[in-house]
Amino acid sequence: MSLALSIDHIAKRYDQHVAVRDLSLAVPRGALYGLLGPNGAGKTSTIRMILNIIRPDQGTIRVLDTPFDTPGLVNRIGYLPEERGLYKKMQVRRVLRFLAELKGIGAKEADRRIDGWLERFALRGGGRDWGTAKVDELSRGMQQKVQFIGALLHEPELVILDEPFSGLDPINAQAMKDTMVDLRTKGRTVIFSTHIMDNAERLCDAVCIIARGEKVLDGTVSAVRAEHGSRTVALAFDGGRTTAVDAVLSDRRLIAAMDDQNRFLEVELAGGADPQQLLVALVQAGASLERFERVRPSLHRIFLEKVGATGVEAGMSGQG
Amino acid sequence: MDKLIAIVRREYLERVRTRWFLIATLFGPVLFGALMFLPSIIASKQTPTDDVRRVVILDATGTDLGRRVARGLNGGVFGDSSLTRVESVTAAELAAAESLATRAVQDERAKGYLVLDASTIAGLSARYAGSNTTAMMDMGRLERTVRRQVLGLRLEREGLAQERAEAVTDVTLDMKTERLTKRGRGGSAAVSLFFALGVAMLLYMSIMLYGINVMRGVIEEKSTRVAEIVVASVSPSRLLAGKVLGVGGVGLTQVALWVAGALTLNRVRGPLLSAMGITSTPFELPALSWGTGALLIAFFVLGFTFYAAAFAAVGAMVDNEQEAQQAQMPVVLLLIASIVFVQNILLAPDGTLARVMGLLPFSAPIVMPLRLASAPVPTAQVVMALASVGLGAAVMTWLAARIYRVGILMYGKRPSLGELVRWVRQ
Repeated sequence: MSLALSIDHIAKRYDQHVAVRDLSLAVPRGALYGLLGPNGAGKTSTIRMILNIIRPDQGTIRVLDTPFDTPGLVNRIGYLPEERGLYKKMQVRRVLRFLAELKGIGAKEADRRIDGWLERFALRGGGRDWGTAKVDELSRGMQQKVQFIGALLHEPELVILDEPFSGLDPINAQAMKDTMVDLRTKGRTVIFSTHIMDNAERLCDAVCIIARGEKVLDGTVSAVRAEHGSRTVALAFDGGRTTAVDAVLSDRRLIAAMDDQNRFLEVELAGGADPQQLLVALVQAGASLERFERVRPSLHRIFLEKVGATGVEAGMSGQG
Repeated sequence: MDKLIAIVRREYLERVRTRWFLIATLFGPVLFGALMFLPSIIASKQTPTDDVRRVVILDATGTDLGRRVARGLNGGVFGDSSLTRVESVTAAELAAAESLATRAVQDERAKGYLVLDASTIAGLSARYAGSNTTAMMDMGRLERTVRRQVLGLRLEREGLAQERAEAVTDVTLDMKTERLTKRGRGGSAAVSLFFALGVAMLLYMSIMLYGINVMRGVIEEKSTRVAEIVVASVSPSRLLAGKVLGVGGVGLTQVALWVAGALTLNRVRGPLLSAMGITSTPFELPALSWGTGALLIAFFVLGFTFYAAAFAAVGAMVDNEQEAQQAQMPVVLLLIASIVFVQNILLAPDGTLARVMGLLPFSAPIVMPLRLASAPVPTAQVVMALASVGLGAAVMTWLAARIYRVGILMYGKRPSLGELVRWVRQ
């Protein structure tokens, strides 16, 4: 299978800390791939190494089946950084033309594409052309769209988005999501980092969870969930919980972890326990059950289970 | 290569399009125009005014000196003396008359009052108090008139007829001054001194202005985080090169427009002034050979590169302009150090100070053109200076590129010297 990206045992150390300890992953072409991890897990450092902005201390990276430092390779990659900004005093159209030229697109061709994109994102038409406005005359949401356009103008085969949903309102987030799916439909590869598991769960074909600069798990979303699936039960009670029920729920022999989702409880069974045992125990305790369902755990749940609070804290280095 | 051109073009066009560029471009010729025209215009305006006639003369001499002075001020016997009031007073009444006259000046009924007394007759002193004492031409005329009338009075006492006395004392003398220096006639020397200073100041100003402009550009890219997008497409050193070239191009354009404006103004200066009815001595710019012109441009380009690279490195080290104010000090001080000795260097264009500072990479871009414009410089020294600045610019660019590469993606604390060294070696 042709790979859009293959990373082999890379590491990156800074003076004070290790950003990426030892990371290997493979992203097939045409996939919508999620890079998940807490803040400071090494996501941004990894992305910067893929883009040859910083060099790994060790390991190899191949992008689109070529070594990552091949000249001209960057022209085939589109990148939207987490921290967003553009030249404030510059006209939108000129900024976009400049970004296209940096990817080797001629001015005339760039202009044609810019028109299409501005219309698509409702920045042009209806008597108003935001393309001729200065960047700082645009609202934040519009600026984000312009930057997204800038990342896609050269029709890259691989699109890398660092936290694409951060700071977007629901409408713009939807537009972002639609475009990502659309890119995938056209056969492009999209890699995006996020720490919001719901997005990843709904969008991704495959994910990789990293923490403390290391891979925790990876695979297709369904495979990952199936792998962790048999041991989770969703519970809801009709009315309140009695002390007897609470005693069952805090029984470590039955339940390893519990996550209160407000309208229901997501519990992970302890090793050796099976759902029947839990149901019997609950009924004997006099619980009035509204819901008792074996579910596949959410990515969120798996993430918390695998990374845990320590992973989040230890990873908090600010390097993203 | 196309990407470098795209960066250079953006840096250049975005700056040239600003209102700031337009204002600065217009401001230059306006300033030159003021320097060329104002002295002549002011000189032509500095003729004695009516003010000198609007005075009160307190004559305590017991002679007709007061009336004579009034006549002298108003153009002789046939002049209109109505503006000048003469009061004959005794020595005892003088104090009271002075306070009345003071009141008259304060109420703006007169410009001032002149006291003539026994010591005036003796040729020792006269006093004037008024609101126009800073008008040099008027004061000069007043003094000359009193002197001439005292002289006339004395001659008459010696037995000379009044008309004869007036004819004898009528001496109008216009003294022309010319400065002599070791190198010849002062007139042209003053112009070449002025020219050399102008060249040095122009270089200093444009290097400072556009060096800081480069720094601002780097800070903007850093604080808006555009830098990350750009370096995902081109290498940081290419971005830096594009920036320095683009802004340098803006600087050259601006200076070229200034020089063109100044030359045009100088050409039309004579005809314009005479059209305004002002005669003036022509303002001859020293002839500048193409070779010297090319050298001046070379020093500007290399010097700008040296400082622009340094300023860019400073920009990459800081997060915002406030921090930059402090961090840029070492670079600014280097630049200032090369301009503070301008006077000493002009006084001795071949002295040790001039020779040393004309060779150091940080000061040569300003000191060498200053020397070139003021006196002949041995070719060997010029070549060495060029080599020194060229090498300095190359080293500075290399260092700056190393710092820039790491710095533009770093936020937070400003790096210490040790960290900087690590950035460079990384």
